[in-house]
Amino acid sequence: MLKVQDLFKQYTSEDGTPGGGVLGASFDVADGELFTLLGPSGCGKTTTLRSIAGLEQPQGGLISLMDTVLYDAERRVNIPMYERDIGMVFQSYAIWPHMNVYENAAYPLKVAKGKRLSASERREKVRSVLALVGLEDYIERPSTQLSGGQQQRLALARALTREPGLLLLDEPLSNLDAQLREQMRSELKRLQRETGVTAIYVTHDQSEALAISDRIAVMSDGLIMQIGNPKDIYERPTSEFVANFIGTTNLLRGVLNADIKAGNEAPVDTPLGKLLCTFTADVLATPTVGVVIRPENIIIAKIGDDKAAALPDTNRCDGTLLTETYLGEIVEYEVGVSDEIVLIRTKPTESLTPQDAVTLHFPTSQTLALIEKSN
Amino acid sequence: MTTPNRSVNNGLFSGARLKNLFGISPIVVVLASILLVLIAPAVIFLFQSSLHETQFDGSFGDFTVQYYVDLLTSDQFLTNLINATIYAVGSAAVAISIGVLLAWIVERTNTPGGGWVLIISIISLGIPSVLYTISFLMLLGKVGPANEILMWITGAEDPLLNVYSLWGMIIIEGIEFAPLSYLLLSSVFRSNDASFEEASMMSGAGILQTFRNITLRLAQPAILALLILIFIRAFESFETPALVGLPGNVSVITTDIYESIDEVPANYGQAGAFSVVLLFIVGALLIWYNRLSRNAERFQTITGKGFRPRVMDLGKWRWLTGAILALLFMIIIGFPIGIVLWVSMVPYYDGVSLEALKLFTLDNYRTVFNSRSFHDSIGNTVIMGAAAASVVAPFTALCAWLTVRRYKGAWILDQLATSPLIFPAIVMGVAFLQVFLNLPFGLYGTLLSIILASMVRYLPYGMRYSYAGILQIHTELEEASSMSGARQTTTFLRIVMPLVAPAMVTCWLFVFLVSVKAVSIPILLAGPKSQVVAITLFDMWENGITNELAAMGVTWTGFMTIISLIFYMLAKRYGLSVR
Repeated sequence: MLKVQDLFKQYTSEDGTPGGGVLGASFDVADGELFTLLGPSGCGKTTTLRSIAGLEQPQGGLISLMDTVLYDAERRVNIPMYERDIGMVFQSYAIWPHMNVYENAAYPLKVAKGKRLSASERREKVRSVLALVGLEDYIERPSTQLSGGQQQRLALARALTREPGLLLLDEPLSNLDAQLREQMRSELKRLQRETGVTAIYVTHDQSEALAISDRIAVMSDGLIMQIGNPKDIYERPTSEFVANFIGTTNLLRGVLNADIKAGNEAPVDTPLGKLLCTFTADVLATPTVGVVIRPENIIIAKIGDDKAAALPDTNRCDGTLLTETYLGEIVEYEVGVSDEIVLIRTKPTESLTPQDAVTLHFPTSQTLALIEKSN
Repeated sequence: MTTPNRSVNNGLFSGARLKNLFGISPIVVVLASILLVLIAPAVIFLFQSSLHETQFDGSFGDFTVQYYVDLLTSDQFLTNLINATIYAVGSAAVAISIGVLLAWIVERTNTPGGGWVLIISIISLGIPSVLYTISFLMLLGKVGPANEILMWITGAEDPLLNVYSLWGMIIIEGIEFAPLSYLLLSSVFRSNDASFEEASMMSGAGILQTFRNITLRLAQPAILALLILIFIRAFESFETPALVGLPGNVSVITTDIYESIDEVPANYGQAGAFSVVLLFIVGALLIWYNRLSRNAERFQTITGKGFRPRVMDLGKWRWLTGAILALLFMIIIGFPIGIVLWVSMVPYYDGVSLEALKLFTLDNYRTVFNSRSFHDSIGNTVIMGAAAASVVAPFTALCAWLTVRRYKGAWILDQLATSPLIFPAIVMGVAFLQVFLNLPFGLYGTLLSIILASMVRYLPYGMRYSYAGILQIHTELEEASSMSGARQTTTFLRIVMPLVAPAMVTCWLFVFLVSVKAVSIPILLAGPKSQVVAITLFDMWENGITNELAAMGVTWTGFMTIISLIFYMLAKRYGLSVR
């Protein structure tokens, strides 16, 4: 459906040094998929989106949508943005203040080439799109009198009226308050499913990305670190960067004196002793790795308990419980092991108190040895 | 998330089909050429005239540096330079003292009646500078009420004040700049967080101590920058020195320029040399000012956490500050307007007295309304202001849009359009006088010549408004149109134009108001058939036709105040800063 290959666009800061951008990104988006570009500010996700839209001219690579080449550096093809079959929702919504709700939504049908409709067809079309986003009662309202959530819906309606081949969403929820954001998040997902439109979604909010996406591309410093579905990205990160960026994690520095291929298990020396780790990516000619384990995957038991006795001998270490933080649905423990502090999350069923001697177990399949950054 | 002002990949005016000049859009090249054609000749002819002997017909003779040698070796020039400096420093001090007091009372205290101060700003933008200066001459002159009151108090036989002196110039110019000073300082005081002051009060400081140690100190960088701004404006001003200084034998550089041209035969070379020197002084001061005001802005952005614009409760003292407010209001607007009204309704002006009330008449208005030259002069002025504004507003809107959207090379447009700022108005007049004298188009003395010069002179002002207006339009509003499938020209017509319209109207009104107010450019360029109101008022005063002058001034000021009011309402509505 959408194909992006070796996309390159580098900005130059005022002092002449390179200043961010996208430094060679490739990915494909399937028909009807909701694909998310996720990363911290300055990682190149917005540049990628704007290059697909045609709002930025890339310096290299290829972008094609269905059978149309939108941009090809080699053949010097660059279709102007207004001829691309793409709808876009902007971060600021960009609702025109001098037009009412209807006029805003109808604008694409009036100005775009090729899709000429009769006045009544147009009216019908705009009505149905406004109904889809729940704005049918606001048709004649001046757009300046809309709330943030309503503006958001109108921006979405406007991007959909033209029935574009691709929908781009640039941090569409970042200007809403927390409660509305969650509501709009599920609504966006519902609309995307209902219309079946292929969508690219840009965000820096990892929980938003996990909740909404079919697939996620995690970006850092202009490069794509990992592409996968939310479960893979969370449970099987292939680099320290992705593991750290998504969710909370324990990170230990490990030493390894062998080359290990992805999919294998191997022991790694860590400050907590030797741990048998799973490798999700090739680790070649790198003596140090990051050993990563999520707090909810560590098993904790009081020394002397039956539960402790039942734990396997491998990937074990003993420590002292330092703090207990009760958060309702879960409890967080901080355990001191030699000079390290390990964070653990469990259901509030354990009966542990600070200063207890505890033992920890790191299940091999969830203890990952990772390189710093993939690619 | 998005970095603001990314360079845009737009097809509009990028002229893919035309041959590009180093990738610069043709529209930028065209606009830059227009600006160059308007500005460059004036600069070139100004320098040329100062370096060539003046011929009788105004054309250039042999090359010479004599004018500069004369100027730099004359004692008179040094005296006038010192006069101008004292005058400018004094005016700035007066303007800022009044401005600080007004701004503090209105913005930082709960003094009643603060809203009335807006009227000062509105009227002061509408009243012609000549008329304002004249009104103070009426107030402070030999037969004016100020002298009469002083004589009554002291029992002296003769008038005590001689307004035609350096201090008279300082007082009048200082009061004239007080509204500007108030306007700029009130925005500074408003942006100060009240908790800074509250923290001082909670530490045990009184209101005056807090004002001195906190409020003033925080505003200090802004005040310093403003001091230099008003210094520059006064240094290059012409109306007050000409009307107040010259009769009292106090000359400054701007009046030297005027006199070199006014003498017979006109000494254009000398005027040119004076102008070039003034240009360099003002240019240097402006560079300094820009540096300082940048610092001041940086200082201004420091606010405490949780910004709240709250005011100080003065308790019963607020009646005192209220009285001070009323007094300042009377000095800046009440007395000047009052005296002009009075003079316009008496057959001859001989001070303010009860007996004169019996003579009240509307004859002056009748004479003025029936006068042919009054009609011509008003017509010319309206055409002049409207034409200049109608060109400047859309032109600067386009330049500002290209600049803000970072079209390649568009920074040149910004630089060119703001460059006339370093020209004092009188120097601009001299420069364009040279252009029109030496070009074969027969423009000299026509209304068109005044329009052209005013246009260039007020380009920077237009640019400031347009720029502020365009900055308010979020780039995504235009990008959303492109993503809807609209071509760039459609986007410009259907999105950019409607959104920028309020800013353009505001810009138009401002340029109109400032261009019809001024005297310096038309006084050098106007011919018998291109008289404008400001010049007519100036001439009437010189010829002693005081009462009709007042009637004409009142009428004109009334019209302009209405336009000024509309301007203020629009500017407030659309959030454009009024400067």
